[in-house]
Amino acid sequence: MANNVFAVQIFFIVFRECLEATIILSVLFSFLKQCLGGPDQDHAVYKRLVRQVWAGAISGIVVCLILGGAFIGVFYGLGKDIWSKSEDLWEGIFYLIATVIISIMGLALLRINKMKEKWRVKIAQALAQKTKSAKKRTRLSDWSKRYVMFLLPFITTLREGVEAVVFVGGVSLSLPATAFPLPVVCGIIAALIIGFFLYRGGNMLSIQVFLTISTAVLYLIAAGMFSKAIFYLQMHQWNVQTGGDAAESGSGAGSYNIKQTIWHVNCCNPETDNGWDIFNSLLGWQNTGTYGSVLSYIIYWIFLIITVCCLLYEEKTGSLPLQKQIVSVLLRVPGIGGYIRRKQEAAKTDVSEVLETVQAEGILNSKEGK
Amino acid sequence: MGWAHRISVLALIVPFCRAKTVTYDFNVSWVNANPDGLYERKVVGINGQWPLPVIEVNKGDRLVVNMYNGLGDKSSSIHFHGMYQNGTNEMDGPSMVTQCPIPPGSSMTYNFTVEQNGTYWYHCHTGYCYPDGYRQALIVHDDDAYFAKQYDKEFTISLSDWYHDFLEDLSHEFMSLYNPTGAEPIPNAFLFNDTMNSNIKVEPNTTYLVRILNVGAFVGQYLYIQDHNFTIVEIDGVYTEPTEASMLYLSAAQRYAILLTTKNETDKNYPIITVADSTLLDTIPSDLQLNNTNWLEYNSNADHPEGVVDVDESTDLAPFDDLTLVPHDQMALLPDPDVEIEVTVYMNNLMDGYNYAFFDNITYTAPKVPTLYTVMSSGNQSTDPTIYGDNTNPHVFKQNDVVQVIINNADSGAHPFHLHGHVFQVIAREPSYGLDFYNLADVDPVPFDANNHTAFLSTPPRRDTVVLPPGGYMVLRFVADNPGVWLFHCHIDWHMDSGLAMLFISAPDKIQETLKIPDQHYDVCRAAGVPFEGNAAGNTQNFLDLNGEPRQEADIPDGFTPKGIAAMFFTILSAFLGVASIFIYGLWDMKKAGVPTSS
Repeated sequence: MANNVFAVQIFFIVFRECLEATIILSVLFSFLKQCLGGPDQDHAVYKRLVRQVWAGAISGIVVCLILGGAFIGVFYGLGKDIWSKSEDLWEGIFYLIATVIISIMGLALLRINKMKEKWRVKIAQALAQKTKSAKKRTRLSDWSKRYVMFLLPFITTLREGVEAVVFVGGVSLSLPATAFPLPVVCGIIAALIIGFFLYRGGNMLSIQVFLTISTAVLYLIAAGMFSKAIFYLQMHQWNVQTGGDAAESGSGAGSYNIKQTIWHVNCCNPETDNGWDIFNSLLGWQNTGTYGSVLSYIIYWIFLIITVCCLLYEEKTGSLPLQKQIVSVLLRVPGIGGYIRRKQEAAKTDVSEVLETVQAEGILNSKEGK
Repeated sequence: MGWAHRISVLALIVPFCRAKTVTYDFNVSWVNANPDGLYERKVVGINGQWPLPVIEVNKGDRLVVNMYNGLGDKSSSIHFHGMYQNGTNEMDGPSMVTQCPIPPGSSMTYNFTVEQNGTYWYHCHTGYCYPDGYRQALIVHDDDAYFAKQYDKEFTISLSDWYHDFLEDLSHEFMSLYNPTGAEPIPNAFLFNDTMNSNIKVEPNTTYLVRILNVGAFVGQYLYIQDHNFTIVEIDGVYTEPTEASMLYLSAAQRYAILLTTKNETDKNYPIITVADSTLLDTIPSDLQLNNTNWLEYNSNADHPEGVVDVDESTDLAPFDDLTLVPHDQMALLPDPDVEIEVTVYMNNLMDGYNYAFFDNITYTAPKVPTLYTVMSSGNQSTDPTIYGDNTNPHVFKQNDVVQVIINNADSGAHPFHLHGHVFQVIAREPSYGLDFYNLADVDPVPFDANNHTAFLSTPPRRDTVVLPPGGYMVLRFVADNPGVWLFHCHIDWHMDSGLAMLFISAPDKIQETLKIPDQHYDVCRAAGVPFEGNAAGNTQNFLDLNGEPRQEADIPDGFTPKGIAAMFFTILSAFLGVASIFIYGLWDMKKAGVPTSS
């Protein structure tokens, strides 16, 4: 029941994507403040650029809503028949994709400062690029230079937004339409609040605690999704083998492959019994535990624990276990070596240095400049 | 019909000089046939022929069938469906009940007198065998029938479902981990006299005795003749009061005899329409023709119109309710029962994942020793049901016990139940035939309630195969006046093999006294490698020791087993450890960062 009005996974996806977007916005705003917000600087230009950022962000959101709407329309309109035929297969695949994405983005959420730093570097690099190319005067570069503070948030919100829409649409194939609005709104609000606090430099302690708890929930969902993905893929195989008539049998004998089952309780089916769908969406509960789904759940957590250990190791020592060894080997490989070297160069970019250049070149003051 | 068989008629010196011995030599072997015109396949033939010869005897005759199994790759046997076999239980034919399966290269002689009349059939009664073609009508003529003077000619109609694949091969798909719902294989065609779209030539203004049999494996069929009513005079060998009807439903194994008077005019031919009972089919392939037309041919030059079925579903047809028939002998309801058996039919899966059929919690599992041979070898322990093994679901009766069988159907399908060696009175059934018959198919089943049931019929119809309605119940009564081991089972071959059977063992002490099993039957066992002494477990020393009895698979545990609890424990443990690691990582950052950072 609860799943029909509040799909937890949708909340977290929207929250995560919105948070990333707000972080970028807050980084942009602090940049502007740093470069132009001083008392001795042109206030009008500063105001104009802030407005540009807002305009970019909002138009990005609007475009993404249009694209996303079209996407979901196509998704459901064209695909429904194909998917309903082998629904289990598609759910399995979507859950698998969802697990991978959540897993990658989840831990980054805990390093929100790192994320901010990463975006600072990226934006600085983008600005530096503009500075360099400013010498070659083409119409396009002129235009993009002038509206860089529009383009950056526009592209950012567009990208994150489309990601969220695609993701929400894909993961929630089986959910009714009523399950969408509430978690989407809540996700956006929560992300805006956190983003605002981040910008204002609020109480990092409570933000961190909040993020830690939500990340833990996010991973509970992800582990459940991974287990469900395996479960659905097995179910699909089972349906193929049985000619598809097991899918309709709900609970009880015949609805599952006894040979692959560790437990089966003739109740608490998340698809038919009220209440159990919450456990299903939060923890991946199924009334049938197969070797595949149980093992995949445990393996997922083991994988996560190892990853966390590696990240902690990296933070303590500055590099991942064996990272130096592997990098030194890869550097000798032609092709890959060059790529890694470029990456290393880029990582060394000094943000404040770039900012100074930007200020010196007056790139943001392009209205007056020439 | 030119099948080659030898009938030797030995006139015996008996009163009225009527009874004779009719002998058939059956060499059973594979032949090719293509009865539906769709696919040629190997079928079980007799003496190189298929369709098989109709066995015809007169009431009182001795029937001798010398059967040689020339199939080469398959065991077999013959059951003479509906024959009482009073005093000759060993000739009844079901493998592992009254005999051993006859292996390739072995022979068995069936020899018994036919003290009854009417429409019967014979078929193989060894796992997955008769639907490969090994079934045909057995007619017992009776010049003394009350309607003997009322008809001029007679003919027989056999209905049957038909598979293109060998039953043995289909059985591996049916009893399979991958068929958890127990969906029965779907037939490829429906035959009428072992062919399709055929003509039965009739003369005008003539009364025919038409014997109609469903010799199929699975699907019941509705039958009606356009613009013709008819009079039912016999069901399953029991004469009934003449009763007018227009449409019959014949489950697998049921028979009717009707009097059909033809019209005066010969300008038209009339479709005989048969409609397969599609409720039994899990899926209906687009190329399966459920409605079929054959013709009552008055004039071969006239048009042969295709029969029109004006309902969408076979459930919309309202066939004649056989419970409204009254036996011609007016036999009254049997007295209150000495023995009452109440069982519930349902389908469920066991630990191997296969779908089985159950009477209560028992799915019939054949014993090591054919049960009749357990009776013969058990001495004074024969009346103890223990020795027959509980997985054969045995019920032991004393001679002349009145037995009442109540069958509740917790399954959503109809089941035609057949009792060997007897006809039973069908004294109540809910829901009855007609448009309400399927009312309980998709709702909670309604079991028999001793305090609230439809009134028992005062002159109930008697037959040997009766259809149990989906979700409903029926009550049967009979007298255990026929010493022997009698199989009571669903006549849908798939369900028979998924265990919907139980054993009625009447007067085992009397069986020992009266039965003399021919040595040849034991030779068959030796050839088949089947023990013929001992209890259900083959134990000859201690008949009460059932160790080693073939048993059904274990039940699927309801809920968590230790394995499940352990698995659950480790999933929860791993989730806790994982969450803990996230907290360590998250809060470690806080320790490191400590203060708000905003550059």
